[in-house]
Amino acid sequence: MSEPFSAEDLARRRTASRRLGWAIGAAVFALYLIGFLFKR
Amino acid sequence: MSYATTHPAGHHDEHHPSGLLRWLTTTNHKDIGTMYLTFSLIMFFVGGLMILAVRAELFQPGLQLMRPEFFNQLIGVHALVMIFAALMPAATGFANWMLPLMIGAPDMALPRLNNWGFWLLPPAAILLTLPFTLALFGIGDGAIATGWTFYAPLSVQGGMGVDFAILAVHILGISSIMGSINVIVTIFNMRAPGMTLMKMPLFAWGWLITAFLLIATLPVLAGAVTMLLTDRHFGTHFFDAAGGGDPILFQHLFWFFGHPEVYILLLPVWGLMPHVLSTFSRKPTYGYKAQVYSFIAIGVLSLIVWAHHFFTAGMPVPALIYFMFSTMAISLPLAVLFFCWIATMWKGAMTFETPMLFAVGFIVLFGIAGLTGLVLADVAADAQYHHSYFVVAHFHYALFAGGIMGVMTGVYYWLPKWTGHMYNETLGKWHFWLTVVSFNLTFIPQFFLGLAGMPRRIPDYALQFAEFNAISTVGAFILGISQLLFAWNIWSCIRGGPKAEARVWEGAEGLEWELDSPPPHHSWETQPVIK
Amino acid sequence: MSHCTCQITKSGSAITNLGIRWVGSFWALVALLLPGASHAEYKFNFPEPVTPVARETLHIHNEFMLVITILFVVVFAIMIYSMVKHRKSVGHQPAKFTGPTGTVQWFWALVPFAILLFIDFILMGIPAVNAIIEMEDTKTRADMVLKVTGMQWKWQYEYPGTDIKFISTMSTPREQINNAEAKGENYLLEVDNPVVLPVGKKVRILMTSTDVIHTWWVPQFGVKRDAIPGFLRETWVNIEKPGTYRGQCAELCGKDHGFMPIVVHAVPEPEFLAWLEQKKAEAKAAAGGADRTWSKDELMAAGKEAYDKQCVACHQAAGQGLPPAFPALAGSKIVAGPLLDANGKIIKDSHVDRVLNGKPGTAMQAFRNSMSDVELAAVITYERNSFGNQAGDMIQPAQIKALR
Repeated sequence: MSEPFSAEDLARRRTASRRLGWAIGAAVFALYLIGFLFKR
Repeated sequence: MSYATTHPAGHHDEHHPSGLLRWLTTTNHKDIGTMYLTFSLIMFFVGGLMILAVRAELFQPGLQLMRPEFFNQLIGVHALVMIFAALMPAATGFANWMLPLMIGAPDMALPRLNNWGFWLLPPAAILLTLPFTLALFGIGDGAIATGWTFYAPLSVQGGMGVDFAILAVHILGISSIMGSINVIVTIFNMRAPGMTLMKMPLFAWGWLITAFLLIATLPVLAGAVTMLLTDRHFGTHFFDAAGGGDPILFQHLFWFFGHPEVYILLLPVWGLMPHVLSTFSRKPTYGYKAQVYSFIAIGVLSLIVWAHHFFTAGMPVPALIYFMFSTMAISLPLAVLFFCWIATMWKGAMTFETPMLFAVGFIVLFGIAGLTGLVLADVAADAQYHHSYFVVAHFHYALFAGGIMGVMTGVYYWLPKWTGHMYNETLGKWHFWLTVVSFNLTFIPQFFLGLAGMPRRIPDYALQFAEFNAISTVGAFILGISQLLFAWNIWSCIRGGPKAEARVWEGAEGLEWELDSPPPHHSWETQPVIK
Repeated sequence: MSHCTCQITKSGSAITNLGIRWVGSFWALVALLLPGASHAEYKFNFPEPVTPVARETLHIHNEFMLVITILFVVVFAIMIYSMVKHRKSVGHQPAKFTGPTGTVQWFWALVPFAILLFIDFILMGIPAVNAIIEMEDTKTRADMVLKVTGMQWKWQYEYPGTDIKFISTMSTPREQINNAEAKGENYLLEVDNPVVLPVGKKVRILMTSTDVIHTWWVPQFGVKRDAIPGFLRETWVNIEKPGTYRGQCAELCGKDHGFMPIVVHAVPEPEFLAWLEQKKAEAKAAAGGADRTWSKDELMAAGKEAYDKQCVACHQAAGQGLPPAFPALAGSKIVAGPLLDANGKIIKDSHVDRVLNGKPGTAMQAFRNSMSDVELAAVITYERNSFGNQAGDMIQPAQIKALR
């Protein structure tokens, strides 16, 4: 048993998580738009 | 060693809302997992009732119970409900409950997103089924009647049921994407120190690949159904040859999502199996790295085989040959998985409690799915199998015996952890045997119906198909009724039962088994030690 | 720590032991059944093949089924053996290995992989490639062409190079489907106008559709090909044996998807040629119909016949339709509206426009492609003067011909 997650550690993880979350969301949206450009 | 009882002062007094408001606003991964699983079970029965109505109609030649238009609605909505509202939420429920426990994280990385992801589901389910009700009042002509595959131009023709389904699919897609983002971010950012990716439980690996497949393919499905919507209402011609479009484009777009989708449904279960097999064989998992690489290989391969769903649409010979070989290639990493599952059991000290029974049943019956899938990949023979009952049987072996029985394995395995009580083992065994026997009774005749020439999606059939249809219907009803045993067992277990230890099963290894059963509302507030 | 698991195992093992034996013998039975069934009667395997493609397909299927049956039996025999021997209740101690250790184990791990590779890409792959090339070769040495058009919910057949064009609709009476009458032997697999093809000739089949995707499938020919609106797809058959061969539409195409069968009469070539001549004469006679004036009674009679064949499925016997998908003709504004404009030309969205050109985006197709001038004039006249409609007017086949 060791230290609980420190407050800084948690905050760092939370920020990283939010950033990654938005990045993936943007990638998803881009994929969605690219689909419309496919040859008709 | 229990991590449950120590937590820093200050959390004692945290105020949690109760009643309905608790469930509406919770950001706790256990609560959200419970909601996903409850929703899934309800929708499983809804989808099951639909198909029992279908099988009742198919009991004998002739139209006894319903008009063909209604039949077409039932089969399509059955599939959409089972895939999007039963199987996927069940897998997401597992992910929510177990991933943080398994990787030593206090919760999912994005807890509010988690809540929204769940609460999108009930409205989507209502949208899917609302057209049935509206039709009863004379509004519209019922739910989508094109089958779950929405093929254009039939879906361009359809009534408002198609629009409802398109909207539902968009919402379901967004929910899954949110869940997937959460899974990926949690796995990358929230593992306890010392838990490297290659030490992560295989269930987490299974879900990681699943999440990547979801975010890669759901946007394409969303695009395809949006294009369908605009073809229907806004004068576009994406899928209309007269306007310069191509109906087959829809099939390409749909199946680009559709094929990975079946692995999305299966990967969480493949990730779960090693846990169960290892526990009940009292042996460490065999071939951890091989299984990880197989998951990745299957994930990648699944993205490049989609056209095997429409070999008869008339594609050039090189395309037919390419898609045949790439599809067959998937059998190789799958064979690795089977090998590792059996090798985990080999020379173990096995006991056969209900989760293990389901796991073994899964391996055998999913094996049939895989082998018949191999046969379907053969373009030459596919000319006879395509859009026949042979395919229906194959994918039910994959998705019921594979997906649903896999979920049942997980439920029996983890229910004591979630509730703190043991479920009724005798009832569990009855459920298993009734399910396995009646499942085979339902679907083996369907293989033969396909070979004999019976097409899919027909409400009535020629006389030579009568016998096997009757047998299949009997099997289906027994299968449906047997699931009540499952629901009852779950319900009783939630209410009470013999107390479950932290390490519920003798051979169970992993962080989740070091927490109490049930785990405290906030787990892993103290970091676990990773061996 | 290890609580009630032991007790459960003790009582559980008896059931599971029996269960395992039961499961094992069940699968052994299935395993025995499958290869043998390849020679068994119709019910457990493809119906008797009558084309080279169907024979090749059957052969590939049988071989593949045998291969997967062997794989299944071998793999699960090993697993069942393990389940019986390596159990806690017989005192087996668990091993600890997590991967192959030593040469023998690497052999056991890699050889199945290699065998599967061989099966997939060589044993089954190479014959499949050859079969595909053969199946897709529709043009080499083709003796004749048949054109198939899928429609909701019937097939149209044409013999290019002749004027022969006819619609093939299911002829099973609705009373049989609704269980009011006993079902005939070829229930749901019989049509009014079957396709006739010569035996022993390579027939190149061109396929398309007027509305949604259909699929033409005759199991005994080993042929299944999609009929896609706006595109031409091809396949071929060379029927080796005279007989009657039946199939069905194999792509969900709407409410009567299960009610649009295919019937092919394969006959020796002289018979085929005689049939062609007869059909050509019929086609000429029907075309000539537009050259004379028809009385209202004649139009009404012919109109009822055409209506019962082509329109009743959607618009129903009393013209009440199945709204909103299939509007009522009884009391319909469109049906009561004017026939043609002052110059004898078509009015947009009028009754004549609907019947001839269909309504895009719906199941109402353009019947100009599948009905003759006589049929079109008759059915329009019939609809305007039936179901309580009293337009009182009529339209001549010659007027329809002029609109084309």
